[in-house]
Amino acid sequence: MLALQLLATGLVTGCALGVVAISFSLVYATTKIFHVAHAGIYTMGGYLAWSMVMYGVPFLIALLVAMVACTAAGALIQNQLYARLERRRATHLVVLIASLGALAVIQNIIAAVYTPNILQFPVNWSSRMMAFGPVRLNYTQVLTIVVSLLAYGATMLFAHRTILGKRIRAVASNPMLAGITRLQPQTVYVYVIAIASALVCLPGVLVPLDLGLQPYNGVTPLLTATIAMIAGGVGSITGAFVLSVGIAVVQNLSLLVMPGEWSIGVTFFIFVIFMLFRPTGLFAAR
Amino acid sequence: MDFLFSYIVLAEIYVLLGLSTNLLVGIAGIFSVSQAAVFGVGAYLVAHFMMAADPLSFIPSMLIAAACCVALNILVTLPSLRVSGDYFVVTSFGIQLLATAVFTNWAQGTGGANGLPGIPPPDLFGWPVETTGRYVLLCTLFAGLGCLAFWLIMRAPFGRLVRAIREDETAVAAAGKNVLRAKVSAAALAGAFAGTAGGLYATFLSFIDPSSFDLDASILLLTMVVVGGARTLAGSVIGPFLLLALPQLLTLVDIPTTIAAAARQLIYGLLLIVFMLFRPQGLAGERL
Repeated sequence: MLALQLLATGLVTGCALGVVAISFSLVYATTKIFHVAHAGIYTMGGYLAWSMVMYGVPFLIALLVAMVACTAAGALIQNQLYARLERRRATHLVVLIASLGALAVIQNIIAAVYTPNILQFPVNWSSRMMAFGPVRLNYTQVLTIVVSLLAYGATMLFAHRTILGKRIRAVASNPMLAGITRLQPQTVYVYVIAIASALVCLPGVLVPLDLGLQPYNGVTPLLTATIAMIAGGVGSITGAFVLSVGIAVVQNLSLLVMPGEWSIGVTFFIFVIFMLFRPTGLFAAR
Repeated sequence: MDFLFSYIVLAEIYVLLGLSTNLLVGIAGIFSVSQAAVFGVGAYLVAHFMMAADPLSFIPSMLIAAACCVALNILVTLPSLRVSGDYFVVTSFGIQLLATAVFTNWAQGTGGANGLPGIPPPDLFGWPVETTGRYVLLCTLFAGLGCLAFWLIMRAPFGRLVRAIREDETAVAAAGKNVLRAKVSAAALAGAFAGTAGGLYATFLSFIDPSSFDLDASILLLTMVVVGGARTLAGSVIGPFLLLALPQLLTLVDIPTTIAAAARQLIYGLLLIVFMLFRPQGLAGERL
């Protein structure tokens, strides 16, 4: 029974992680920037929504406003930081260090304003329980699964059916050629990071709704999501989502045999296995 | 006077760490946020051997710790660098978070979040290093040796090889050089520097806890190299001395103690961004 319950919570965590992974994958596959500051956007979304809910704004509106704010913050980072560095022909390493700097800035502004203590969302429905046979999940967890699956579906539709989605995939596969054919890669990069930031705001709000907020809690999910992205194959949205669910389930089931503090070790072990035996990932495009 | 001495000792320990970070990030061009983890492994190992039921003296403990850190860095870099540089970013974040988890949760080995108190002071061949004044001498000796080693390595063919890899990996590979081996050797050297610094840190403070070796500490190390200047000896010396003075300056400004730590990290983050945007070579470095 415990195993079933762990499997279910693993699915919940995995779906939330999956959205982090597809958003990171969008950015990484298109811009080739290892956007570490994405963890800061994730954390920021949760805190913004929390503040609004504290002031009595309905949860749904708070979520939407937080998404808009995250979109703006992501676009700002691309426009003011990455694009400037790109114009100066900065190396990959320089961009990475700047991104880490942006992460430190966002996290510590949050820590200074809200203190590093755990904050809980002041909503009364979030921990109400629902039973599915022997498994019990609360409203937040069910909402997380539904929203994450919708976000996955919407991203797939967007990437394959809309003009902008096709433009993004064109830039991702060959920025030079896309530039020549006037697809304007730099503008596309702003769109991609903006969309990814809006997406990552969903788990950024829903996960803390269940587990509470802390300013430095964004790095571990981002790391796990990155590992899922690599294991799934860079550029594959489905791969990133499926592997996120897989890793989270394995991580949760490992609780049967070892304490929870070591789950980062389990994740990392999975990464090393993939690196040694299948570095291109499971769903890699040929 | 003691205050000035302990500032100098800490800065010299961080000079060793700066050299280590500079070797990896500046010279070999491998992004790493796990330097503090290796530093911590060195510190905990030296503490462990000097406090064991059958204690080892200072020099053998340091040698074992440095050797372990070298081995750790080789083990960590070998699989990921084989694939790509971005995989190593993931690896280094993973190692850092994993190390923090071990330092915090493995209570028998590391004292957990409460830390490990009562590490004995070092002795050099029967000459006890107990006062801060003597400690300055010891650390100056180690930092001096570190700087000398760094300078010699940079002049050697190996130094030129690693620099060349940073400029153009494909060209170096085409010239018949083993790129992976050079990168892993650079990482191994960085491990030796960080492990030594860890041992000095543990014996000087006689108390260590996980907060000195977390992700924030790694970001501080990166900031030191970025501000001081990448790829030069002067840069790795200037950075630590400047950035360790910063918390003292912050105490002059009246900010509540509850947000002091966050404010400090915020400044490191801002420094990283500003230097990358406007002066990627740092105060006394070369183009990054």
